[in-house]
Amino acid sequence: MRSRASQCYKPLWYAAVFPELTAEHSALLYRLSLHAQRFTSLVSVELPNALLLEIKGSLRLFGSLAHLHACIDAAWREFSLTVASATTPSTLASLWCARAGYAVLIDDPELLSSQLRELPIACTAWDPKRLQTLATMGVNYLGELLRLPRVGLARRLGPQLVLDLDIALARQPAPRRAFVARERFRERCDFEAAIENVSYLESALQPLMLRCVQFLKQRQVGIQTFELRLRHRVGPVSRVPMGLSSITADHRRLTEVLVQKINRLSLIAPVQAIELISGPLQPLVLDSQDAFEGLNRVDKQAVPHLVERLRARLGESAVYGVCSMAEHRPEAAWRRVYEIQFGCARVLKIADEGMPRPVWLLSEPVPLSSDSLILQQGPERIESGWWDGKGVARDYYNARVAGARLWVFQERHSKRWYLHGLFA
Amino acid sequence: MPRESSLADILTDARVWKLKDASAAPPRPVWSTGSKSLDARLPGGGWPAASLVEVLIDHAGLGEVQLFLPALVACQRAAEIPWLVWISPPHEPFAPALAQQGINLERVLIVRPGSATEALWAAEQVLCSGVCAAVLLWLKGTDDRWLRRLKLAAEAGGALGVLFRPERHRFESSPASLRLLMTQGAPAAHIELLKVQGGRPGPVDLGMVDFGAS
Repeated sequence: MRSRASQCYKPLWYAAVFPELTAEHSALLYRLSLHAQRFTSLVSVELPNALLLEIKGSLRLFGSLAHLHACIDAAWREFSLTVASATTPSTLASLWCARAGYAVLIDDPELLSSQLRELPIACTAWDPKRLQTLATMGVNYLGELLRLPRVGLARRLGPQLVLDLDIALARQPAPRRAFVARERFRERCDFEAAIENVSYLESALQPLMLRCVQFLKQRQVGIQTFELRLRHRVGPVSRVPMGLSSITADHRRLTEVLVQKINRLSLIAPVQAIELISGPLQPLVLDSQDAFEGLNRVDKQAVPHLVERLRARLGESAVYGVCSMAEHRPEAAWRRVYEIQFGCARVLKIADEGMPRPVWLLSEPVPLSSDSLILQQGPERIESGWWDGKGVARDYYNARVAGARLWVFQERHSKRWYLHGLFA
Repeated sequence: MPRESSLADILTDARVWKLKDASAAPPRPVWSTGSKSLDARLPGGGWPAASLVEVLIDHAGLGEVQLFLPALVACQRAAEIPWLVWISPPHEPFAPALAQQGINLERVLIVRPGSATEALWAAEQVLCSGVCAAVLLWLKGTDDRWLRRLKLAAEAGGALGVLFRPERHRFESSPASLRLLMTQGAPAAHIELLKVQGGRPGPVDLGMVDFGAS
C-alpha cells in the first residue's frame, strides 16, 4: 500500500541524453551534472550518456514547466553537444522519450501510456539479446509490448522487463541517488627560486594552510587526512601524507602536525613547488560551548591533540593502546589498539580470577633450566587453542629467583620449562 | 564607582599582612605506594604527585612496576582525564595483568619512540600536556639537563613522572625529587632510597609485603 506522502509528491523527471558521449566520457558527464545542479539538487548520472533531473521542486521558481524545460535545454548549448530531452513523471519514460527523440512535456501520469505506445523498443536500451527476442516475437513498438499479457511476458523475458514497464508507466517508483560532487581542498604554490631549506618551506606553507582552514570553515567540515606534495625540478614528486587522530578544522592542530612532519623531512632535491591536498571532507561534530569555559576544565581535545603530535613525530605505529581479550592463552589475551578511543571510558570491570598475571609478558617464551627455580604458586593449567593450530598445554607457576618473581610454565608434553613473564 | 576587587587582588596587595599559616603552601598531594613501610619513609606518606621519581634498576622483574601500580590506579580514579602513558617499556605490558590490578585499559597509552632523544621528547610532551595522570619512562641513559626538563614538565603538567634507568647512573646528580635503587636480593629485592626531598635516605625493608598481595 502506498503511503499518503508518496502519493502527494509526484516527481517530474527531466532526462537529457547526449548520444555523442560514450563510456570514456564519464568525466564530462559528471561536469555536466555539476552544471545541472543549478536547476535542482537531485541530479542523477545515468551512465553512459544521460542525466536525470528531478525538477518538480523547481517549477514554482521558474514559473512553468515549459519555461524550466527550455532553460535546462539552453544550459547545454555552451557545451556544443547534441542533446535530446524529455520531461515525464517517470524516470524511464523520460529517458526513453529522449532517446527516441520525442521532446515531450508530460506532467500527468495518465497520459504516459498513450505517449509510450508510439516509441520503438530500441529506445529502451535493453540488452541486444532481449531486443532480438522481442523483434522475433514481432514486437517493434512499446505499444505492442504493453498489449501482451504481463504473466506471459514475465515468464518469457524475465520479471525485470515487466518491472521496467511499470516504472515507465509511473506505477512503480524508481528512486535515484543524487549526484554529490566530491570536493577537496587543493592548492599549489610555485616558488620563484627553488627552496632547499626545510624551515623556509614551513613559512611558505603557512598561507596555504590558512586558506585550507578557511575553506573548511566555510563548509563547516573537517578533515582527518591531508597530503603535502613537493615538486622538484627533476625526479618524482615527494608525497608527505599526514593524519590526525580525529576530524578537525582547527588551524593550530593542522599546523602543528604539518610542522612536526616537515621538520623531520629530508629533502631529496630543491623544491620547486608545493601543493596541499586535503583528504575527504567530513562533517564536523562541534562540541557544545561551556559558559564557564576555562575554569578548571580540561580541554576535551587535548588528548587527541597529544596523540596526534606524538604520532606525527614518532610514526603512526609508535603510539597505541592495549586491550584485554577473553582468551585463556596469555599470548592471545591481549591486543594492541591503534584506534584509540577518546570518549567516555566504560565502567571499569575488574577481571580478577585465578592466579595473578605478570606485568611484563615476553614476546616469546624463553627456555629455562628448572634447577634454580623456587616455585611459589601453581600450577594453573592452561590448555586451549587446539582449534586454530596454535594449541597450548601448559602448567603455569609463579617462581622466584634472586628477588625477581617470574611467571614460568612447564610444557605438558615435552616437560620443558619456559619463562613467559616477569612480575615487575 | 570604585573598581570591585577580587579576593586574590586583595591578598596580593603588599599592605595586607597574612598569618604565616594561611600563606603556607598546602601539603602536596601524594599517592600511596601500597606498602606501609615504604609510605612511612616518604615525605607526606606516598609518591609525590606532580614530580619526577627516578628508579635505578638493572634487572627487570624485581617488582619495580608493582611499586607504582597502587598509585597509578589511585591517580587514574582521581584525575579528570586519567591517562597513563608508558614510554618505551622493556617488554609488552600485559593487558590482563593491568586489568587485574584495577587499571583502566582504555586510558593506557603505550609509546615506542625510535631513540632516546625521541623518548625524552615524548615524555616531556606528555608530562606537560596536563591530561596525563602518570608517565612511566624507561631509558638507557640521559643527561642531567634533560632530567631537569622532565622534572619541570612534570611539575607544570601535574603528572607523576617515573623514570627507570640502569644502576650505573647512581653517582650522577639528578634533579628527581626521589631516587630509588632496586637490586636483586633474596628472598625479596632490596630497595634503597638514595635521595628523598624532605626525608631521610637509606634502605627500606619491604619484607614480603609487596609480593603476593595482588
